[in-house]
Amino acid sequence: MKALLRSRPLLTTLVVLVVWIVAGFASPGFGSWPHLRYMLELASVIGLVGAGQTVVVIAGGIDLSVAAIVTLSTIALPLLSWSFDTTGAIAVLGVLALSTLVGLVNGIGIAWLRVHPMIMTLAMATFLQGLLILMAGGSAVTLDNPIVAWLGSARPFGFSACIMLWIVMSGLVLVLLHATPLGARFFALGANPLAARLSGVNIRATTLCAYGISGLMCGLAGLLALGMNGQGYVGIGDPYLLASIAAVVLGGTSILGGRGTYGGTLPGAVLLVTITALITVVNASPGLRDVLFGTLVLGLLLLSGREAKRR
Amino acid sequence: MTSVSLAARDVSKAFFGNPVLRGVSIELRPGRVHALMGENGAGKSTLINILSGSLSPDSGSLDVGGRTASSLSPAEARQAGIAVVHQELSLVAHLSIAENIGLGAYASRGGRIDYSALAVRAAELCALVGLSGDLSRPIRDLPLGERQLVEIAKALYRNPKVLILDEPTSSLSARETERLMALLRRLKANGVALLYISHRLGEVMDLCDHVTVLKDGVCTADQPMAGMTPDEFVRLMVGRDAGDLFPAFESAARAETVIDVAGLSAGMVQDAALTLRRGEILGLGGLVGQGQEDLLLALYGAMPARARTATMLGAAGLVHSVTAANRRGIAYVPADRKREGLLLTHSIRFNMLLPDFGRAVSLALRRTSTERKLTDGLARLLTVKGDLSRPVQALSGGNQQKVALAKWMPQNPKILLLNDPTRGVDVQTKREIYLMLRRFAQEGQAIILLSSDTPELVHLCDRVLVMREGNLVAELPHGQVTEESIVAAAMGVSPAREAA
Amino acid sequence: MMPSLYWQIQWRRNRRLTPLYGVVLLLLVVYGWLFPGLFSRAGLAHFTQSWFPLALVAMAQAILMLTGGISLAVGSLVSLGAVVAATTMGATGSLVSMLLVLAAGLATGAASGAIVALLRLPAIIVTLAGSFIIGGLALIILPRPGGMILPWLSAVLAGNNPTVLLGLLILLVLGWKFYLATPGGIALYAAGENPVAAYRSGIAVEATVIAAFAISGMLCTLAGLFVAAQTGSGDPVIGTTFTLNSIAAVVLGGVGFLGGEGTMRGALAGSLLLTVMINVMFFLGMPPVAQYIAQGIIIVVAVALPHLLGRRLAP
Repeated sequence: MKALLRSRPLLTTLVVLVVWIVAGFASPGFGSWPHLRYMLELASVIGLVGAGQTVVVIAGGIDLSVAAIVTLSTIALPLLSWSFDTTGAIAVLGVLALSTLVGLVNGIGIAWLRVHPMIMTLAMATFLQGLLILMAGGSAVTLDNPIVAWLGSARPFGFSACIMLWIVMSGLVLVLLHATPLGARFFALGANPLAARLSGVNIRATTLCAYGISGLMCGLAGLLALGMNGQGYVGIGDPYLLASIAAVVLGGTSILGGRGTYGGTLPGAVLLVTITALITVVNASPGLRDVLFGTLVLGLLLLSGREAKRR
Repeated sequence: MTSVSLAARDVSKAFFGNPVLRGVSIELRPGRVHALMGENGAGKSTLINILSGSLSPDSGSLDVGGRTASSLSPAEARQAGIAVVHQELSLVAHLSIAENIGLGAYASRGGRIDYSALAVRAAELCALVGLSGDLSRPIRDLPLGERQLVEIAKALYRNPKVLILDEPTSSLSARETERLMALLRRLKANGVALLYISHRLGEVMDLCDHVTVLKDGVCTADQPMAGMTPDEFVRLMVGRDAGDLFPAFESAARAETVIDVAGLSAGMVQDAALTLRRGEILGLGGLVGQGQEDLLLALYGAMPARARTATMLGAAGLVHSVTAANRRGIAYVPADRKREGLLLTHSIRFNMLLPDFGRAVSLALRRTSTERKLTDGLARLLTVKGDLSRPVQALSGGNQQKVALAKWMPQNPKILLLNDPTRGVDVQTKREIYLMLRRFAQEGQAIILLSSDTPELVHLCDRVLVMREGNLVAELPHGQVTEESIVAAAMGVSPAREAA
Repeated sequence: MMPSLYWQIQWRRNRRLTPLYGVVLLLLVVYGWLFPGLFSRAGLAHFTQSWFPLALVAMAQAILMLTGGISLAVGSLVSLGAVVAATTMGATGSLVSMLLVLAAGLATGAASGAIVALLRLPAIIVTLAGSFIIGGLALIILPRPGGMILPWLSAVLAGNNPTVLLGLLILLVLGWKFYLATPGGIALYAAGENPVAAYRSGIAVEATVIAAFAISGMLCTLAGLFVAAQTGSGDPVIGTTFTLNSIAAVVLGGVGFLGGEGTMRGALAGSLLLTVMINVMFFLGMPPVAQYIAQGIIIVVAVALPHLLGRRLAP
């Protein structure tokens, strides 16, 4: 029982459920399936960005370029569309390849040039910001890709396509982290890079993989965001930087690396969306909303997420 | 009753459920040098940390200046005039020598640090401990020996009533050590209570008046030094005679050469040549930090290196990455297992599987049952008991070292590079490790054993290479090698002069 | 006579920064050559104005990074300073208003520091959540751009005379030098690099960290006051870009991420370097967009270069 209570993923899930039940009784609309589904749809974007962020954080790094990569994928989609590509599949693959490439460049800077992850990904974000303004010119991009439109709005059997995509990707990421040697290498790298290297873990390749996965997940998240919004614009990805890190930490993954699971980020993402929804219910001003959001997240983190004492 | 400066009464302490100290008492008196002896891992460092307020004991009490308390805070310890020269140096690398000496206790003038007073006092103390040169140098730029001297000066800066020294001479030269001994005698004459921890029996018997011996966290002796013989010491510390620690020597070396390197340069190492045969245990000795570690790391591909000619395991050329070394069948066990060998917060099982994770196909699914069988087998072999899903830091130092060594076994390495594998390991485990090495050699593995423990080199190795200032200066075959001959080669003197 | 210990230590620290000083000087010369107006009074005033806020936030970030922390709330603190100044100045007069600005930074900084040091939550997470709270507070105080800064203050701080700003900057640097020469100041380095050693040496590690956060917060809101004076009014989101730029400047200035490594003069030189770079790109006629791109590349190259060169030079 005690061990169960110490499990952060479980605790976070319980918090989400309690909040849902309480809020459901307090406000009739909150607990309805369409509303819950809507929250899960919003959470799926955070969840996907959070998947990449989880991998990177477990591997001992941090990715501050996620917002820029999300935006990049929404802006780049129309540029990669050709008339012969009627299904839009080539464009989708192109976008995913592009975002993965951006992640790999991050990885190269960190593993080969030994630039600190925070600097490398910050610089990448700055670089992309310029590039995006150049590409979009400040105007919005309209969605005309059938696959992405379907992903963003289709609800086969009353269940959103984006949620299903999220579930599938979650399964893959969980297997990757906990049931493959590559996943074990991420943990080893984050726990103690020197010991990992001397034990035969290829540090550079592992780092490269982590950031590549983060880039890929951001690309996917960008497509979902575009599909749901119907249009892409510079700044569409901005909320996801803080949200992804918060979801990772709320889920019990150590920001210092080496410990954690995507199983915690999942409820973490849902919790963030739920908090936002609750604050919206309160009908506060934008400023108060931010204050409430920050305070709630900080309060939840104080409940756990703390480091060991010095003695 | 005679006055007592600092005493611990019946203190116990456990880490992660492992008892490290069990009901230990010690009494430090003014004007007396008290020796604290014991093997690595006997609980000496823990006792020091309790005496100096860095750790709180689980039970027992402390007497300080006539007061009794259940534990001390570092601030209280400082007020009581207790100063410690730590083995793991507690210096700030980016600050200067002078700033480090005064750290935490600066004299100030108008709220500002009085740098001129600091300069005077620091210069005085440096002269006392025998450290010369510019006081504005940052610690970062100093060699290990000089850092140790700064650490000692830092302790003296506080005019301690009780001075605890944890292996203060481990990286000092003979001359520096002599000067320190003289200084400690002066402090003793001035009524300072000293607690002295060292592995060098000669120093201890020379300097100390009283001795406490710890073995596995229990006090096995608390008596005046007078009349003690070295043999008695060893018996008290080890609990058995030194002789039967090592298995009988029996060479397993075969004709086949697995390493043949000439003109190897890497880090401190200059132009080294060595050969290693199958089944051979090759010792690597010398004073601490003469390039031995660089040599191992170069052979392991973990450090940039060049060689004039090199053949390793039949393939030409050095390996240039750890991954390549592993592929060829070379494994490395680092000295600092906590920093370099293990993922402390991860499970014993995960640590045992780590080399396999490094080599396995990235996206192949892991098989829990296979992993379990493999790790259970290793645990049986090592006699590591209990749940393998515990974090590896819950194990004792000796068992941690066994995990760090055994994790390579499933890879069947052909060459084992061992960097001081018995540092901080209890006697029982040492013996187990020696037996393992012997068995590996018989099975045809080639071993390079870097060791700071000279008897190991004498009793285990087919040949011993001695390094000094990055050069291999002597090669001593088994039968001819003695502790004296190794030390003599390490110091660059002929054995005859050393004996005289 | 030998120079005193204090100056010898300073001299050694300077020596490590020589390459950086060289690059900054070179860029300044290029800038002066491209834009001779720099050396006029107005040109100098303009340049100082573009540098000043970045210099302040770089100092704020450097203090935290020296203690082994980092702040992602720099931008929102700048915004907070700006709105506090713009909303209170009309009612309370400039002096009280300025004190309020500083107090706001001090209090929020100290609170973040207390959470980091006493409740042991990583600084990056605390300041991330803090950026929401502080940014939200700024929005509550002033939901949309407005308020006002007394014209005489704008004229003094953001007019055509650089003397006041440069004077302020020198004052701040002297203040820092004074602080660093106190036992509490030097504890920053010890607590940042080796908290265990600092604790053993009797340094109050927690208090040191809280003090660093408080000072850092104050510098940020001061930068906000200045930014508000430049525009003559307050804007609740004006600080956003400062978070990234402060980190970039500090890292260019050779301050390490692990704590205890680096100097304030390095951070200031880093902020100067960044400012000159941006200005030079502007005068070369590069569009703002290209500036972003160039900035991203330059930061990575500048940080990676020592490593690349080091590997070449090593035997």
